[in-house]
Amino acid sequence: MLFVFALLGMLAANALEAQEELPKNWNTEKIRGIRFLPDAAYLGTQFLFDRFLDGEIKMEDGTTIGNLQLNYNSYRDELIYYSSAIATQIVVDKISIGSFSLTDKKGISHLFRKQTYNGPMPGDRYFEILSEGDIALLVYRKVLLLTCPVYGEIGKEKNMSYQEAYSYYLYNVIKGYEPIKPEKKSFLSKFDTPDQKLVRKMLQQNKISVNDENSLVKGWNLVKESGVAVHF
Amino acid sequence: MLLVALSGKCQVKGGFSLFTDHDMYTSGETIFLKIFIPSNEQSGIVNAGLFNCRGKQVAAVFLEMRDQQANGYIHLSDTLSSGCYLVRTTTRTSLTQTLKEVYIVNRFTGLPESNVFLRPEGVIPMLETHLPALQIDGVENSYKRRETCHATLHMPSERLSQTDGNLFVSITKPSPEFNSRTFVIDARPGFSKSVGNEGMIISGTVTNPRTAKPFSNALVFLTVPDSSPRFQYFNTTENGRFFFQLKNYYGEIPVVLQCLDPMTNLPLKIDMSMAEDISTSLPRFESLNFSGEFRKVASKNVEALNFIKIFNQQQIKVQPVLLSKTGKYPFYGVPTRVVYPKQFIDLTNFDEISRELLQGVRFKEYNHIQTLQVFNTQRNRFFDDPPLILINGIPVRDLQIIKNMGTKEIDRIEVCLCERFYGILYFPGVIAIYTTKSDFSWLNESDSLLKLKLDAIQPPSKIISPSDNVFKEPDLRRVLLWLPSLKPEQNIKIYFQTSDVRGKYRLIVRGKGKDGKIFYQEQFFEVN
Repeated sequence: MLFVFALLGMLAANALEAQEELPKNWNTEKIRGIRFLPDAAYLGTQFLFDRFLDGEIKMEDGTTIGNLQLNYNSYRDELIYYSSAIATQIVVDKISIGSFSLTDKKGISHLFRKQTYNGPMPGDRYFEILSEGDIALLVYRKVLLLTCPVYGEIGKEKNMSYQEAYSYYLYNVIKGYEPIKPEKKSFLSKFDTPDQKLVRKMLQQNKISVNDENSLVKGWNLVKESGVAVHF
Repeated sequence: MLLVALSGKCQVKGGFSLFTDHDMYTSGETIFLKIFIPSNEQSGIVNAGLFNCRGKQVAAVFLEMRDQQANGYIHLSDTLSSGCYLVRTTTRTSLTQTLKEVYIVNRFTGLPESNVFLRPEGVIPMLETHLPALQIDGVENSYKRRETCHATLHMPSERLSQTDGNLFVSITKPSPEFNSRTFVIDARPGFSKSVGNEGMIISGTVTNPRTAKPFSNALVFLTVPDSSPRFQYFNTTENGRFFFQLKNYYGEIPVVLQCLDPMTNLPLKIDMSMAEDISTSLPRFESLNFSGEFRKVASKNVEALNFIKIFNQQQIKVQPVLLSKTGKYPFYGVPTRVVYPKQFIDLTNFDEISRELLQGVRFKEYNHIQTLQVFNTQRNRFFDDPPLILINGIPVRDLQIIKNMGTKEIDRIEVCLCERFYGILYFPGVIAIYTTKSDFSWLNESDSLLKLKLDAIQPPSKIISPSDNVFKEPDLRRVLLWLPSLKPEQNIKIYFQTSDVRGKYRLIVRGKGKDGKIFYQEQFFEVN
């Protein structure tokens, strides 16, 4: 028995002889960016999530880096990465990113993709993909810094606050962006008049009333599956 | 333990099928290679090399694997002494290596007077299967010199469906005087399969120059200097080892390696050993005598090659590699400012350039000590620490190097006025200088800095045929046709032109079956 173990040990040693053991993730793509400096404190938050979440980044060249602590700065449209190795928050270079995803506390994955926006204030923006497809439903999760009443519930507060100003779009690679609002009227207007009746009926049958983001996504997915043509 | 033992043995088994254009060569010639790779081999890079009888590597190339095949060539240096050599092919994860004997005659010294040469003893040669069903039509028994000829290959449809990858067709002058053998021996893989299949890996060791012991957690920088430089870093392992994966590099590339202790910034010693040694894996060698015919053929080959060299006749045409554009911007980020000093009045040194052209850059010299600082636009003050200074992408710390650089020396300067991060590296601003000349004579090699010319993946090449080059001088080609990757079809027409070298030639078609076996069909003809 002892001899067998000794023999196996020799075999193991022989098999692995001269093989280099490389450290884990030795050749992963390196994240590039600048130091994140927090802005002055105002009411509300400029971040989409209240803490850093597990996520991964797909770089522009297609390589993926996982197991990262990420957050999205809605005010500046920036991806913030917390590097535990150097205990620093880094604004990842937008030019290097193709897409990124974060998984929230409920386990829901939020996928953001960098796309070029040609409307007002053109440039590369991160859009969260609410529904993927030939025509995708996207949201640009922008928050604005606006003035607000100085006196709040707890007495004197800041005079500026971050306020949601999300923009929803239908997006097609060829046709571009079509704004849409999470409202029934706006939703129905994206279909030809003869189809609107059909869409309204489908929404009623499925008890969907388009009045917020969730219902917009549900309604859109329902109509997408039925194959009703979108007026784009 | 059993699992560990078996996992090692479960790696790639089965030999590579290695073919060369000849068995006898003259120094200064080129060995053309065709390699069929086992189907379970996943490494994307094939290592091919030339070893002497003592198992020391004398030449090496990295070939890209495509459809489980690889093609390439090895230039034979004129410094090689006459003798038996071994062409070796393997991968970094393979448990086997295939060796083929070749005899190389030094064209200046000729064959040794002793009439004796060494060759491996008791090896079991790899076998190919003759496939009579594969027909070669249209080949005459004899041709005139410089005659344009053609032949047709007929591939049976059932064989067509059983063929794995491309066919390999060659017409060469065989050397019956030296009957070469190809055989397989065990290999010690350099890496486990987990290293992936992309690019070549270079490695080395960092040691403490005072104690000569391996130094862990040292920072090693690798730069491929260019107008758009590539940069990588590595923290050495516990035994001082470092590794870099070089993806999408073809041909000879300049590489600069530097290392330092990140805690003290003191330089360390960096060692790289590129050449392999397979002496322990080689079989025993036996002494044999040359035949008279062998000596005669070797002498003729030397004469022919000397003629080819005198008239500078090229054998290979290297094809440019079209690479997909990787890395839109440098590793130090999109610069805040780019300055082209040529667009301004001539400035003689970097002090003047920084004062006149570079906003947010402070270069000072006091008591012959230079300092350089960059303005931090995020915090509206100058960084206390010196910025990362790059010359053509190579990090430098000695400001003496840039001190005397003026408009004539500098093509452009890129400046980053913020705290940049690259992985775990932190740069308090960046000043990247790109010089008008691309030589690195200003960079002094030391224990902690190595300047290398690295042979990355060999770019695709094709053998020059008379259609590419009208031979006004005698055409002394011994390889009339070399088509390493021919798409298999039922009928394949091939064209070739005979050279001025008379003698017997062999047209041989090879392929790999889906069962992993190599099949061949051959036909001989004379050139008079």
